[in-house]
Amino acid sequence: MTMDMKQLWKRYGPLAIILLVVIVITAWRYALNPQTTTAVLASTLRQSTPLVLGALCGLLGERSGVINIGIEGQMLLAAFIGFLTSVWTGNLLLAVLAGVGVGALLGLLLAFMSVTLKMDQIIGGTVINILAFGLTGYFYQAGLTTQGKLRPIPLGALADIPLIGPVLFNNPPITYVTLLLVVIIHYVLFYTRWGLRTRAVGEHPRAADTVGINVYLVRYTNVVLGGAIAGLAGAYLTLEAVGSFERAMTNGRGFVALAVMIFGKWTPFGAWGAALLFGLATAIQTQLQFAGELAIPHQFIGMLPYVLTIVVLAGFVGRARPPAAIGQPYETE
Amino acid sequence: MKKRTALLTTFLLLLALLLVACGGGGEEPAANEGSTTTTEETTNEEATNEEATNEETTTEETGEADCASEEVFCVGLVTDVGEIDDKSFNQSAWEGVKRAEAELGAKIDFIETKDAKDYATNIGLFADNGYDVIVTVGFALGEATAEAAAAHPDIFFIGVDQFQAWPFDDDASNDLPNLAGLIFPEDKAGFLAGALAGMMTESNTIAAVLGTDLVPPVVAFKEGYEAGARFVNPDINIISTYHPGGLDVAFTDPEWGASTAKQAIDQGADVVFGAGGKTGNGAIIEVANHEGVYCIGVDTDQWETVPEAHPCLISSAMKLITPGVFDLISAAKDGNFPAGNFVGEVGLAPFHDFDSVIPQEVKDRLNEIDTGLRDGSIETGYNPGG
Repeated sequence: MTMDMKQLWKRYGPLAIILLVVIVITAWRYALNPQTTTAVLASTLRQSTPLVLGALCGLLGERSGVINIGIEGQMLLAAFIGFLTSVWTGNLLLAVLAGVGVGALLGLLLAFMSVTLKMDQIIGGTVINILAFGLTGYFYQAGLTTQGKLRPIPLGALADIPLIGPVLFNNPPITYVTLLLVVIIHYVLFYTRWGLRTRAVGEHPRAADTVGINVYLVRYTNVVLGGAIAGLAGAYLTLEAVGSFERAMTNGRGFVALAVMIFGKWTPFGAWGAALLFGLATAIQTQLQFAGELAIPHQFIGMLPYVLTIVVLAGFVGRARPPAAIGQPYETE
Repeated sequence: MKKRTALLTTFLLLLALLLVACGGGGEEPAANEGSTTTTEETTNEEATNEEATNEETTTEETGEADCASEEVFCVGLVTDVGEIDDKSFNQSAWEGVKRAEAELGAKIDFIETKDAKDYATNIGLFADNGYDVIVTVGFALGEATAEAAAAHPDIFFIGVDQFQAWPFDDDASNDLPNLAGLIFPEDKAGFLAGALAGMMTESNTIAAVLGTDLVPPVVAFKEGYEAGARFVNPDINIISTYHPGGLDVAFTDPEWGASTAKQAIDQGADVVFGAGGKTGNGAIIEVANHEGVYCIGVDTDQWETVPEAHPCLISSAMKLITPGVFDLISAAKDGNFPAGNFVGEVGLAPFHDFDSVIPQEVKDRLNEIDTGLRDGSIETGYNPGG
């Protein structure tokens, strides 16, 4: 019994403390200024969305042993194609699907390079980044405009709950899908046969192969699915968040997503928490500037997300262990 | 088989690299398609030829580049990192150069800067080809422009948005005679925008979403905006934010601009001023999706350049870059080039669809303030010197 308690504490203790602190601070701020608190939390969720999606893409690949540093490029090209589809057809659903499709195609390219050709996976990802920056930079023309972007869908009575309503239940569709994906991927990864196989392939592909798992197929599936999710992140940027495209508009979010994934120890919920922390830090630094009268330069506050990362990584999270077979091409005998 | 696929992939990727490298040529405005594209390519080619063979004249083989000759008046423009069609800065300057093509018969061309370390190289490309006037766009090119002007005394240099009293003292005789910085009193443009915002707000909270304070004009816009709003409405609540990133991202982050604008609207702001290239564009496009909130653009009349913002865009705080650039080019042609700093004009863009929404007394008050700012009876209180 005492043993169980100890284990429980070891496992969930830090998490519980963090949650408690977050709830107390939120309640305190909300009592002081409800409008501002709501604005900051809504902004937190919004800033975190592309990061969560990027991290989910990364962890699907890495759990099966394929490093994907091409998330940035997958997001950018998907954002671009999604935008173009929206301009040409005016159909936002079609545009999102086009973005997801392009992400999946780039995932296929990465899988082809790293699984079939056994190329260095870092190079493969870099290639995708360069390709995306080149193609979008070359084909983008100013003056293209869309009819609009995805609008928030309030979820009935839920949206009227103070604080939680406007933050969680009055969002545009891709944000809802993101929250669902976190739960779904967690379930699939840890509670289904396919998830077990994915993890086996990522840890010890030889053993997995011996018991009859098709290593190549698992890796292909994961990387392509990951690409589709990165594509959704791209679609989020142009079709839900901004409503137009600019060159290089991902601005490093694909790389931050990788950090978020490691921060979250290659788990969906961990990545979600880490992304929220990044989002919160960004929202807070904006809010501090809104409040004005700051004696410190705002670039200093801009470091907040990164300082927080270091502190939390060193203090709470502990050692992050990547999947054992990560980055190694698998060769059948 | 495997080797061949690998080779094929490599080849395709090299092709992709090539696309990146050539990115500059494909994206200019439709108005002067064919001719300029070829010009640009030949310019690059020639530069390489010249370096390789060290020949004086490489002109005949291409049948262009008579820029070196006396009769042909050539104007080249070097953009800041970004594109010629950026819906803002580079584009307005380029419009001025195009006006010089139409009205002065100048031969014109541009180079898009891809990386901040290429400023000097790109300016050098025009200088080596005997261009008569070189326009460089943006604060960041100031140093490279001044150095090029010192090295090429026979070429006129126009630095848009650059403080070019050189060397930096008050003695006008030390200024390079072939270098003019086109500067703008951004604080006055911001002041007008702030006054408009201060009169149009109903919630008594207004916001500004800005590029980085590493660029002085952005600071001037902000200070002017806040001063203008307080001038008409002393108790107003102003929330403004700079992008936390460096020069490389601060003006190209529409998603940050959009989410920051949303954060401001969520806490009651009902007029948002977006000043910061594409970051600001992201902010005003976001505002367009919120009922009853107005937005104000920057630099150019963004009604023309960001149609997505039509539902909210009541005006723009304009730097009249196009006439400023054109005036300086024609001064260079006529031989009365003003060295040192040349102060351009600023103003508010037309109200377009909001003309009927904005009450007459607001318009009258804005005219009053505009006159006051011009004759000096109203001061913005912005004084970068200290």
